[in-house]
Amino acid sequence: MKVLLVGSGGREHAIAKLIRRSLLEPRIFVAMDYRNPGLEKEAEDTGGGWRIVKTTDPQSVAKVAEEVSPDLVVIGPEEPQFHGVSDILREKGFVVFGVSRRCAEVEKSKVFARTLMWKYGIEGRLYFKAFRDLSEARKFIEFAGDVVIKPARQAGGKGVKVLKDTQAYLSKDRQEVKKTYVEKLFSEMEHFVDIDYKILVEQRVEGVEYTSMVITDGDTVLPLPLVQDHPHAFEFDVGPETGGMGSIQGPGWLLPFITREEYLKTLEIVKKVLDVLQLEVRDRYVGAFAGQMMLTGIWGPTVIEFYSRFGDPEISNLVPIVVNDFLEILDRAASRRLAGAKLEIDEESVTIVKAIAPAGYPDNKVLASNHPIAIDEQRIRELGCETLYASIEMRNDGFMYTKGSRVFEIVCVGKDYEDTYKRSELAVNYVRTLDGHPLFYRRDIGSKELLSDRVRVAEKVRIVYRSRAEKGLLGKMLVWVPGEGIFENPLIGFVR
Amino acid sequence: MSSLLTVYAFDELWSLVNIVRYGFQALQHRGSQLYVLCTVKDGVTCYEDDDVDISRHALDHVAIAATYADKNGIKTSVVSRDGVEVAVVTDRAWRKLPDFASELIREVKRCRNVEEAFKSTLQRFVDEKDSIPSIQILTNNREVIAWRTPHGLTPLVLGSYCFDMAIVSSESTAVDILGGDVKKFMGAGEGVYISRYLVKTFATSISKEPSLCMFEPLYIARHDAVVDGVSVYIFRKLLGEKLAEHLDTEVDVVVGVPETAIPYAIGFSHKIGKPFELAFVATGGRRRSMLLSDPFEKIIAVHLKMNPVKSVLEGKKVALIDDSMVTGATMKTVAQILRFRIGVKELHIFIASPQLISTCPFGIVNLDMKTLLAANLSSDLARDYLEADSLHWLSREDVDTVCRKFSLKLCGRCFGVNFLGG
Ligand SMILES: Nc1ncnc2c1ncn2[C@@H]1O[C@H](COP(=O)(O)OP(=O)(O)OP(=O)(O)O)[C@@H](O)[C@H]1O
Repeated sequence: MKVLLVGSGGREHAIAKLIRRSLLEPRIFVAMDYRNPGLEKEAEDTGGGWRIVKTTDPQSVAKVAEEVSPDLVVIGPEEPQFHGVSDILREKGFVVFGVSRRCAEVEKSKVFARTLMWKYGIEGRLYFKAFRDLSEARKFIEFAGDVVIKPARQAGGKGVKVLKDTQAYLSKDRQEVKKTYVEKLFSEMEHFVDIDYKILVEQRVEGVEYTSMVITDGDTVLPLPLVQDHPHAFEFDVGPETGGMGSIQGPGWLLPFITREEYLKTLEIVKKVLDVLQLEVRDRYVGAFAGQMMLTGIWGPTVIEFYSRFGDPEISNLVPIVVNDFLEILDRAASRRLAGAKLEIDEESVTIVKAIAPAGYPDNKVLASNHPIAIDEQRIRELGCETLYASIEMRNDGFMYTKGSRVFEIVCVGKDYEDTYKRSELAVNYVRTLDGHPLFYRRDIGSKELLSDRVRVAEKVRIVYRSRAEKGLLGKMLVWVPGEGIFENPLIGFVR
Repeated sequence: MSSLLTVYAFDELWSLVNIVRYGFQALQHRGSQLYVLCTVKDGVTCYEDDDVDISRHALDHVAIAATYADKNGIKTSVVSRDGVEVAVVTDRAWRKLPDFASELIREVKRCRNVEEAFKSTLQRFVDEKDSIPSIQILTNNREVIAWRTPHGLTPLVLGSYCFDMAIVSSESTAVDILGGDVKKFMGAGEGVYISRYLVKTFATSISKEPSLCMFEPLYIARHDAVVDGVSVYIFRKLLGEKLAEHLDTEVDVVVGVPETAIPYAIGFSHKIGKPFELAFVATGGRRRSMLLSDPFEKIIAVHLKMNPVKSVLEGKKVALIDDSMVTGATMKTVAQILRFRIGVKELHIFIASPQLISTCPFGIVNLDMKTLLAANLSSDLARDYLEADSLHWLSREDVDTVCRKFSLKLCGRCFGVNFLGG
């Protein structure tokens, strides 16, 4: 079977690894933006090939597809979907595992996604207010309280400002930051001409995060095991937001801090959103879908955002544990024959993914880019771990260079967290830059300490949301303005 | 007594003026005689003042700071060399500090890696008999190191605020008050390197057998603090329960000397099943009388703290609990109030620590041998001086038992022993 994989990063490398073991004997062709050595190797090993194209340009991707004439196209990242790559390929008669432009709106526009949840009263929704114009946002922010400010469009895991504001004595300082940030974000969002709203101010919540991914052909929804990503750049959840510094999974379908009941509730939310989304955009959803969730005291399972693709690095956790034919599943989804399909995983194992990034990531791309880098994959394999190539480019001089984002993802599997953690910590040592530029990764991911901390936090919010559920207060945030009445609005600050 | 505070905002949008001010306030109980603040303007600049308003200089997004209970000795040093500037701030006086700072800057110039330079400089100061204090450094490149003293005598925690800030403090209270979450209790000899694009914790080979200063959970930290993973409040309550085992008579009420002794008194009362009462009301702000060195000032502070609630004590047999007794001056004053102004029937004094009999070799608490009550008076004499019906101290075994519960190892050199929790 000929498969064309669109995309250039770690997620696509994970997909390639997942599908290459298929009994359908795939020849993998890759359409990528730069020479990712990992993807190149998968392509060459399977007797496929690779092309460098602008993956967000539908015409160029279509040209490659016509050349390759694949039996199945798999689209990895969100941006090609936003640009209509899936649509044009389908029009041309290709079988595509990838979400249409209209359906991908659920990731692209956070306003759209949130509005959808409110319109259909789906649980786990947060209060928000969206702004098209700066002066209106400025005015609103004067009185905003404990909120998060976000770009209204998916901007690649950046730009989210969480401003915990529960202490009046520091409120003015946070106010100042909010104001300046709104200005800054507006000017940064200026260049996105494909959106209406520019920024979003939403209710801040606390708890433990997890990702629930599914595969769907529009009718049948096939859940993947839960995975937890780690958005902070540095150890112990310190530092700026990144696209994810690593993730943990297992054992089985749940995570140690999420109950079966919470998992089922999450799936219920995800399925409802898929239903109403298709209804709303009048299009069929074919591809991967994910809820990036947080277990909170307000709701229990709460939606932070949606992905119209597999999570990166979340999909990497699946590489060592999927037992049956992943390609067959993608193919069945793409050709709308998913009913009856089953995903089998190794339910006894856990997986830990650690991303390795050059210093400078995520806020200084220039500093993080163009460093020659080397890896000893063999030694990593000996530890029972796999290497995924992410933001890394093979140049004509025969050396690999960093491209500014996470360079590698090291995926380790084992019987329990303790053992897997130990090996993952050894495996990360086999990566180094050749020019001495510092690299970093998070030692704490997968550690006993962090895991027990998550369990503790989950337990805390669980007590809160269960008690709220009993009182019929799930999701509610009541504010009393004397003389005016009771409102539901958690966005306003201490002083109106 | 003192505390360190680092605030590192990853986003330049933040000004730290108020943040440092409230950080100081959350640490004031550890000393408010001297404030130090270092920040980067054109280069590294350090300010010293006895006023918390020193935080007005924290206009940058990175600051290291400290508060101290006294002004003695060298605790700050700023050095510069060919364009590199470094401020070094320690949590107690260290006579080697100027040497350390100049050695450090030489190393920074040599190896261009602040963390490595710091580690190798430390190496050269290990042999010193006097223990190296906890250290913060700030370079003009806005690189910060916060490092915990090798024995872990004084604590250090790493916290974070959302995606925006790393906060390091001697006590968890500052992280709480700044809206952050405590992320890690730094181990003895463990440090954290913080810069705009890299944060990492590191161990140093000079870590010693850890032993936290006994005064930390006993007296220095706030009740709401968590020290090395141990809730100070619960620790105090448990010591109070232990203390109750020394009661060999009947009492009607249990009272504590405000404010540090309150949890001990609650634990004590809980154990013996007699009511705990609020017996004293303070006038004016909270001042830690033990920190004042002028004896007259100290008595004033005590008097202002101790207006008694007469009705709960009159004619009663009272168990009076305090966390520690240094000179006994506070206790004497309180005893006089209870005896003469109120007229309690019996007065049994319980001290939630062993007897303080020696000075602190590390200068964490400044004690003067000749004023230490327990070192100079026999137990009976002390009891009579205080006009108490009985006087009890915790034993070493009592403290050991509680330490063991929390796997805490405490330095008790000033009590003449070390407490093992292992
Ligand atoms: N309402 C909220 N309350 C608290 N934290 C939030 C909230 N929204 C987002 N966050 C935090 O910010 C992170 C990023 O948010 P979000 O996923 O919306 O942004 P993104 O830039 O699209 O990220 P990515 O695509 O990498 O997941 C979340 O993982 C979460 O930690």
